[in-house]
Amino acid sequence: MERIIIIRYCEIHLKGKNRNYFESLLEKNIRKSLSDTECTIERAQSRYLVKNFKEADYPSIKDKLGKVAGIHSLSLGYEVKTDEKEISDCAKFIMKDKQGTFKVETNRADKKYPKNSIEISRDIGGDILESNPMLTVNVTAPEHICNIDLREDGNTYLFADTVKGIGGMPVGSSGKGTIMISGGIDSPVAAFMMAKRGMKLVAVHFHSFPYTGEAAKQKVIDLTKIVSGYAGEIDLHVVPFTHIQEAIHEKCPEEMMITLMRRFMFRIAERISEKVGSQALITGESLGQVASQTIESITTSNAVVKMPVLRPLIGFDKLEIIEISRKIGTYETSILPYEDCCTVFLPKYPLIRPKPERVIEAESKLDVEPLIEEALKNVQVIKLG
Amino acid sequence: MIYLDNAATTKPNDEAVKFALKYTEDYFNPSALYKQGIKLKSFLTEAADYITKTIAPSGYECVFVSCGSEADNTAIFSSAKRGNAVTTSGEHAAVYEPFLALKQREVETRFAALNKDGSVNVEHLLSLVDDKTSFVSVVHVNNETGAINDVNAIAALVKKKAPKTIFHSDGVQAYGKIPFTIGDNIDYYSISAHKIGGMKGTGALIKKKKICLHPLIYGGGQENGMRSGTENVFGIACFYKAAELKYSDVVGNFEKVKGLKKTFLSKLDGVTVISGENASPYIVSLSADGLKGEVLQHILEEKDIIVGTGSACSSRNHYSRVLKECGYSSGVLEGVLRISFASDTTEKEVLTAAEAINSATQNLRKIMK
Repeated sequence: MERIIIIRYCEIHLKGKNRNYFESLLEKNIRKSLSDTECTIERAQSRYLVKNFKEADYPSIKDKLGKVAGIHSLSLGYEVKTDEKEISDCAKFIMKDKQGTFKVETNRADKKYPKNSIEISRDIGGDILESNPMLTVNVTAPEHICNIDLREDGNTYLFADTVKGIGGMPVGSSGKGTIMISGGIDSPVAAFMMAKRGMKLVAVHFHSFPYTGEAAKQKVIDLTKIVSGYAGEIDLHVVPFTHIQEAIHEKCPEEMMITLMRRFMFRIAERISEKVGSQALITGESLGQVASQTIESITTSNAVVKMPVLRPLIGFDKLEIIEISRKIGTYETSILPYEDCCTVFLPKYPLIRPKPERVIEAESKLDVEPLIEEALKNVQVIKLG
Repeated sequence: MIYLDNAATTKPNDEAVKFALKYTEDYFNPSALYKQGIKLKSFLTEAADYITKTIAPSGYECVFVSCGSEADNTAIFSSAKRGNAVTTSGEHAAVYEPFLALKQREVETRFAALNKDGSVNVEHLLSLVDDKTSFVSVVHVNNETGAINDVNAIAALVKKKAPKTIFHSDGVQAYGKIPFTIGDNIDYYSISAHKIGGMKGTGALIKKKKICLHPLIYGGGQENGMRSGTENVFGIACFYKAAELKYSDVVGNFEKVKGLKKTFLSKLDGVTVISGENASPYIVSLSADGLKGEVLQHILEEKDIIVGTGSACSSRNHYSRVLKECGYSSGVLEGVLRISFASDTTEKEVLTAAEAINSATQNLRKIMK
């Protein structure tokens, strides 16, 4: 009886000829996430098996695999020889501490085995029932399921405990995107959502020293590091934004501050993306959440870039975003109170529905290109993950 | 670098560290019964006696603890056990928070109002004291504004009204800086090493010998059973030497820093000075009304001048509790900077800092329109 972890994947089933590519990529990501854990990893049919690990390492393996995009679920189970007594003993063992109702579900790929799956379920179910008086059978809505999987290779897996993975597609299977990360609650969640869909990430943060301090920058570094737990390595580009903010503040109407700032941010993020081979911009915008996230504001900032802008949170409510943020572990860092990028120059009444022609007119007072070039020249790149 | 955040912590004094270093070789446990242990024990007694003498007459003793906060907590939880406990709204969190916790121990808590400079309104404080008051705590030097409370006089008035009350004062910002001797009406006085050139992790509670202390930490019975835990010999040695150096000329230093403060204030332009004239010269609280303290702090940081802000973090709604109690508007609260000197701060540093503050506020005002 050997401890194993069975890893199942999600949508890769749907893939046709390039299924092998996705499977290999997911395997690579799984190997990477467990690279500092003593264990072996094998690819079995439509699943992966983790074996030869220490019992004490199970919680940490579970946590690590819980961050790998593309994994649908994990089961902690056992592998035994396909032999009726071994299967029965193992089934009794994994069900020994359970209470309530249960059923046995058998999957028989090994067609040479003398009993069919219904017979196996019935017989092993009987054995379990005899050994654990706290259990009763319920085949329609059981509280526990004892799964028995008879493989073609003469081995059988048994498991009763399954946890969900984060789902999605393996990171690296959907290109590379640039997350514009601020230090708030939303952008790390947006980054996670795209990593979950298989995107590799690059991050861009706009830093306005002295209007924002080292603590605010460190917060963004910490957040990016947490996201890199899901997305793999992330190069965080810290863009000095002070001069741009000061120039807008000096030369343009106060209420347009945020609109104009965002246009600069989009332009700079696109330039960085082009340089590092990223194919899309990602923001944490949620429609109508703040003045800069109305459809009119989104239109005026979007107008300055050609790259697709992905907004995975656009239809989410704040509370829904917070829920994910708590789940992925960024919330506690996001709510740390430091001056962030926008608060110093925050106008009292920002434009809610900026008109493109007025924005362009205001912007014409600025030396847009030199300001962007100066910022790009002084970008600091921090490698995380 | 010009370091003007000495109320937060001070640079460890080289001489004190050097003196203490020999105790890394003398690493024995002071509770051990072999001669090395006994020698250390007697050294600790010598240090405790010295530190007590710097600030208190006979009849007082020194209990070494891990920090000023522990000294405050020990005093409060040892003696505020029944009836009501009175303190001021100007206390450091190390007193304020334990007071909030007292409520759960069914001790009623009362907070006296502050004057505009951060000192306690003594009349109000006295009105809160009655025959059920078991404990009163008044900070000696307010850590944000530098306001000095005349704790000997206040303690006398409190004891006159409620003789059985135990009186504590948090002296962390006063010790080694303000010429002062504990008077007979003060029962406990908290001090900390790292505010006078000692190391973090060392503090002391100076207490009247006859007061029975209920320890916060039980264990091996060190510090005469009042604070268990193997003694921090290195930290205490450093504290001892740092105190000796400060008290070799506490009056001279006080006068010197007073001069620095005067020079500093005379050069400042366009800011509101919150600290009163009679405040500790070591702390100057000022506000650039309408500007953000944290931003000013970073502008100065860029010029290698380190100052404090009104509170540990100036998030949108987290204004300083103490300054809010002093009655300042949110515009003032937002722009607070705390400049705090040490006895080795130079006039040149103070002048450079004043000039930098002036130009930072002027430039920021231009930008903020």
